[in-house]
This record gives sequence, structure tokens and C-alpha cells, in this order.
Amino acid sequence: MLSNKEIERYDRQIMIFGKEGQEKLKNSKVAVVGVGGLGSPVAYYLAAAGVNLLLIDEQTPELSNLNRQILHWEDDLGQNPKPLSAKWKLEHFNSDIIIETFVGRLTRENIDRILGGVDVIVDCLDNFETRYLLDEYAHKRGIPLIHAAVEGLYGQITTIIPGKTKSLREIFPNVQRKKEKFPILGATAGVLGALQVVEVIKLITGVGEPLANKLLIVDLASNAFEVIELR
Amino acid sequence: MKIKVRYFARFRSIVGVSEEELEVPEGIRVVDLLEILKERHPELKNEVFAQNEDADVNVSKNGRYVSFDDHLSNGDVVALFPPVSGG
Repeated sequence: MLSNKEIERYDRQIMIFGKEGQEKLKNSKVAVVGVGGLGSPVAYYLAAAGVNLLLIDEQTPELSNLNRQILHWEDDLGQNPKPLSAKWKLEHFNSDIIIETFVGRLTRENIDRILGGVDVIVDCLDNFETRYLLDEYAHKRGIPLIHAAVEGLYGQITTIIPGKTKSLREIFPNVQRKKEKFPILGATAGVLGALQVVEVIKLITGVGEPLANKLLIVDLASNAFEVIELR
Repeated sequence: MKIKVRYFARFRSIVGVSEEELEVPEGIRVVDLLEILKERHPELKNEVFAQNEDADVNVSKNGRYVSFDDHLSNGDVVALFPPVSGG
């Protein structure tokens, strides 16, 4: 049941998907894997929407992260690992939600234990090795996976629904390992991260049509938004 | 036959245009088109833009994802976009 305070807090979005939709959000737990450029807006907007979170990252914020990783502040540099840095802010932002954290790297050995019980996985990673691991796990457990990736002013997003869509590996079978340092504008991660949150909300509430078997590519330099059919 | 090629993200910066129309031999495959494009825009050779397993380009035809073996027809619109991995 939603409290009166929750009904007031989420009033404007309850107008979209009803109290039932808000109940579904309240009863869900979403894993944000990577709390960096994509993970910051994803965790922020999911918290705003009233979704319980599991935040996963192994790193501690560095100064050069701050142009895009907006949940980490100067006070956090070299101090709090990213999940903890994000958690204290989000708890002050929305005390209704439960925020769990895992500081470390997902591996084949620990992924079952750490991701057990999540309803949706949001891929906010910066490498395809761990993405393929998430993809495998999502298929093993039948959990939807929202993939996005960004570089410069460009990004891609698609929603993987096991049994219904192609797997991430089928769509991107062989992404080359790039140099560690890629160009990125914070706002690009903001755009793609916000789109990932909309995907999560659509999946949980049943409102709208997810990007299932559709790859949305966003080229902000040339104002292009293209939906490519993956079937 | 004529086809239209559209470039996204860094491919667009490399080639310098967002799209171009090309006269190509009848019935070529996507992989043949990539070879033609590499001849036409040698800068693309520096990208991993090959026909082997290291290929690092995604291709759609008329808004639908296709494999490198797919055949092209007159009037097709082919889009080339790079998979990115940053987060």
C-alpha cells in the first residue's frame, strides 16, 4: 500500500500509470551495474520514481569522472566507493526507497549471489566483457536487461528480454576492446541514462512499448534519433 | 543500381558527410559495399571496418539490422553505425 505521503510525492507520475503502477515500482528492485556516467542519472531518476535500488561498482570517484558522473561530488573524491557515494545522496533525496550496494566487480562466481532477487538489470558498464556476463545471467534467470553505451555525443540503447528478443551478444557479437579513455560529454550519458530509466519504468508498470528488438541510436552531433529493427 | 549510404557517429566525421548516393554493381552484398566504401574513403580502413570477424561496424538496411552476407537491391538505404562501449 502507498502511504499518503507517497501518493502526494508521486502524484504527477501516478497520473501516467496509476496507483497500481506506483505500487509495482515500490515493490521492485532494480540493479544499476556501474555507477558512473550512465549509472548516475539512472540511479538518480529511478530513485526519484520510487524504485528500490542495488548499486554495483568497484571504483572510487576521481576528479576526471565529475564531468559526467553527477552523483559523485568533490567531497567523494578518493573517499567513498561509487555505490556508497551515490547511496547517501539518494537516501537524502528519497527516504522511501531501499538502497543496497555492492562494492566490487561482478564475476561468474559471485553474480548469482549479488543479483539474486532483482527485477530488472540496467547495464551502465563501460566494457563488453562484463556486459556479456550480465547478458548470460539475464538469460539464465529470465530477467530483462536494459543495455546502453555512450561515446562522445553518440549512444545506443536496446532492451533485452530473454526469450523474446535477441541477446546482447547476438546484437553486438564482437565489440573491440577500445583504449581505456574514451571521449564523453556528461549530457550524452544523461540522455541515454534517462532513456534507460524510461525503459525500466515501462517494463515494470506495463505502460508504453519497450525498445524490445529495437536498437535506438542517438547521434546528438547531428540531431539523429534512429530506431533500427533487430528482428 | 543506386543505393543510399548513411553514416553515424564517428563514421560521419571520418567521411565528412551524413549520407551519399552511390552507383554500385547489381546484387552486391553488404560486405562488398564495405569494400567499395573503403576504396572510396581510405580513412575508413583505419577503422576496424573489415569483412573478417574483427569487424566493428553495425549495418542496417531500410531500417532493419542485417548481416554482412545480406544482398542489396536498387533503392536500398544502408546505415553504418559503430558499436560503442563507454558508460
